[in-house]
Amino acid sequence: MLDNGRISSVQLLFLLFITEEATTILYSSGKAAELAGPDAWLATSLLPTLYALVIVGVVVALARRFPSQVFTEYLPEVVGKIPGKLLAAAYTAFFILLATVIMTEGVNLIHIIDFPRTPVPVLGIVWAGVAVYGAYLGIECIARQNQLVWPVWLFSLLLIFLLASKDLHINNLKPVLENGLLPVIRGGITRCPWRGYVFFILMLFPYLNQKQEASQAALLHLGLATSTSLFGMFVMIGVFGDLVTAHLVFPFYALARYISIGHFLERLEILVVIIWVAGVIVKLAVFYHSAGIAAANTLGLKSYRATLLPIAITTVILSRVLYGTNLKLVTFMFTTYPIIALAVELAVPALILLIAVIRKKGGKPIADV
Amino acid sequence: MLNWLLNRLGLKKGSGALRKPGALRARVKQDPEDRPLSKKLDDNKKVLAEIFDRCDDLVMREFTIGKQNPVRLLAVFLDPLVDFTQLYNYLLNPLMSNPQVPPAGITIAWLKEQAVQAGQIREHDRWLAMANEIADGLVGLFVDGQNRALVITAFEDNSRQIEQPVSESVSRGASEAFNEDGRTNLALVRKRLRTTRLAVEKVEVGAVAKATIYVLYLKSYVYDGLPEEIKTRLKRIKTDGILASGQIEEYINDSPWSLFSGLGVTERPDRIVAALLAGKAALVFSITPYAIIAPVTLNSEMQSPEDHYNRFWFGSFSRLLRWGALLTAVLAPAFYVAITSYHQEMIPTDLLMTLLATRAAVPFPVMVETLIMGFAFELLQEAGIRLPKTFGQTIGVVGAILIGQIAVSTGLASPAVVVVMALTAISSYSLASLDISTMVRVIRLGFILAAGFLGLFGVLALFSMLTFQLCAQRSFGIPFLSPFAPLSLGDLKDSLIRAPAWLLNLRPRLTGYAEPQRQHSDLKPSPPKPGNSGDSGQERG
Repeated sequence: MLDNGRISSVQLLFLLFITEEATTILYSSGKAAELAGPDAWLATSLLPTLYALVIVGVVVALARRFPSQVFTEYLPEVVGKIPGKLLAAAYTAFFILLATVIMTEGVNLIHIIDFPRTPVPVLGIVWAGVAVYGAYLGIECIARQNQLVWPVWLFSLLLIFLLASKDLHINNLKPVLENGLLPVIRGGITRCPWRGYVFFILMLFPYLNQKQEASQAALLHLGLATSTSLFGMFVMIGVFGDLVTAHLVFPFYALARYISIGHFLERLEILVVIIWVAGVIVKLAVFYHSAGIAAANTLGLKSYRATLLPIAITTVILSRVLYGTNLKLVTFMFTTYPIIALAVELAVPALILLIAVIRKKGGKPIADV
Repeated sequence: MLNWLLNRLGLKKGSGALRKPGALRARVKQDPEDRPLSKKLDDNKKVLAEIFDRCDDLVMREFTIGKQNPVRLLAVFLDPLVDFTQLYNYLLNPLMSNPQVPPAGITIAWLKEQAVQAGQIREHDRWLAMANEIADGLVGLFVDGQNRALVITAFEDNSRQIEQPVSESVSRGASEAFNEDGRTNLALVRKRLRTTRLAVEKVEVGAVAKATIYVLYLKSYVYDGLPEEIKTRLKRIKTDGILASGQIEEYINDSPWSLFSGLGVTERPDRIVAALLAGKAALVFSITPYAIIAPVTLNSEMQSPEDHYNRFWFGSFSRLLRWGALLTAVLAPAFYVAITSYHQEMIPTDLLMTLLATRAAVPFPVMVETLIMGFAFELLQEAGIRLPKTFGQTIGVVGAILIGQIAVSTGLASPAVVVVMALTAISSYSLASLDISTMVRVIRLGFILAAGFLGLFGVLALFSMLTFQLCAQRSFGIPFLSPFAPLSLGDLKDSLIRAPAWLLNLRPRLTGYAEPQRQHSDLKPSPPKPGNSGDSGQERG
């Protein structure tokens, strides 16, 4: 374990929530509406949550076998040295890719809505710099930062949803399940990778100071995240209808702009920008941290901090090379990415768990409370 | 699962404050045990040393009277609280210069009635009363061979040397400040904490220009390891001179590069006492009126003692006001720059028109304009400190005319930026802590630059960076942003708001865990129940 930080189970809950919601609510609402139509609110809550429940089961069982090590640290022990290191390298690459995606998401939104003339790499460098600083300070610091961000997040979400629901037309949500379950499943798949970020327990478990509470925190997070996306989609489709939601670039941002109470309470999109920057910085810091730890484990380094700067530079460059435009990014996120995510979040950990059980690797699971 | 969450958040009764860290320590023996005095002087001395353990300001003056069969006497007192002239005139001089020892030998009665000339004199034969009287500032007189002892008044009256606080004035509350005399400073604290639990440990720092530092803490309240850590860090300092408490601060803080030291500076004894009662420690100096509180959090730095003297509604209001002032002082100019140069759409159209009209003559970009005004304002502030007091008026007039009037009318600055800078200035003056309000001036500059280059995004990014840094900062083991991050819900009662005194049952969780409970939990006042007392309904009927 390369980071000596300690986080509480409540901090874990908040971290899991932010790692999912920080980008989801702005980026993947439109796609769900496009695929599932008026049933998007069902799509974003049913299948992804079921999928995440399975992940929680696998991941917590696996993490409990190695309570003081992160995932990439015990891989060689379970599957053998060379395959283990290769897998750890693959995970490092995945974390870097993910960090790239998140940074690009963050930068794109700011670029599109506020700074159309500022060069994108400048925004990216600033963004990466702040997040790397957080990752450098360690998981404890990120978790604390998140505790400050979290109430702002929750307050803004509630405020925007509640104020927007003034214009909610329940007819927009009818008929329920017009085309059967298939669109709901298709729409749900786009949301799965994000709900699946709960697999981060693998990278966060050793820092927990109350290890037996990991699954409770994860389940509570799933409850919160599900209700947030359910309520969020409900309001968005209720206000805009599914067609408009599907064609808006950032439906949630549009929702906040749409709010006008007595020509006095307006311009709430500033709240969206604030929670966007604050939340995505925390999320990005978590990913940089994990990428750094994974890289250090792969290379057998004594400190993860040295790897952060190269990783950050890589993400800034990759973000320009791979996802030059927002369209490329969105296409990747909803076509290729769910498949990679399925492998990384569920398939590989499940396989590793199976091998660990068969080969009797790892300590006895800690008894549940 | 809800149960679990409540438990974790410390919302459930009996969880939270009593939970961690370090679990509950075995109760330290606090008050002196109430046992009888011994006849042997040496035994009594041993007990005294035990009771006043780690009190370096305790003086034990032993002397002998009588020529044929000499008897040993022991005068015991706390140095800062006792007046030496009185002590000499009433006690030492009469006893030592011309003792006409009666044939029966030295007895307590003889001492009381004939020898000691002090105004007030009392006799005790048990340790509890004896130790408490000594802690109150009386002089204890033990006689070898007697299992009773006397206490004599010889109070130091230093009220005339004590002045009002300069940098931390309050409208309602004690107005005594520390000064440059270590003994007076100790007396100011001792006067408020008249207990044997108060430890005073003396450390000397500096080879040539020596400073005497008293490390103060309450023996049973202070959290594990704090006094030892402070002393270790103080003893580490090898330098030729210490001239101000600020130097000590830089030598002993946890985060040498941080913007905030994590140590509190105050000249108010009541602030020190409040800190000691919360399980913290304090450093009181012999050379400077500024004492140090270790550790502090951002939360405790934002509080003013006045919050507790005013009614809690107003106390809470002024706390919220001060947090608002902190945000304004840091962010207001930056927001102004960001919004006027990048996010004009956020300004209502009418206001935008007005702003544009006033800015039409100004040649600089908003950021430069703000920086110029900020520079002028900082200069005024600096000059105000350096100038002799009699010129204070001049600065005010020059500032008002120069900045308020001429800069605007010549088109060097727009009226809006003057308003913003004035608001910022007022905000930074309303902060309770000197440390915070000076650092805010520096941080503000960074935010103006960030806003000028990257607008609101720059401001948010820099703010995240700042909070990251503050989240990572610890001071003597206590996170600087507690109780917000890490969150302890129970302590939020005394943070952004101040709950009524009868609700603040527990000490802050992270510093006060050695003895979590501050008071009984049933202190909510209520009018007498009818029937319980004489003035109830029956009489009226």
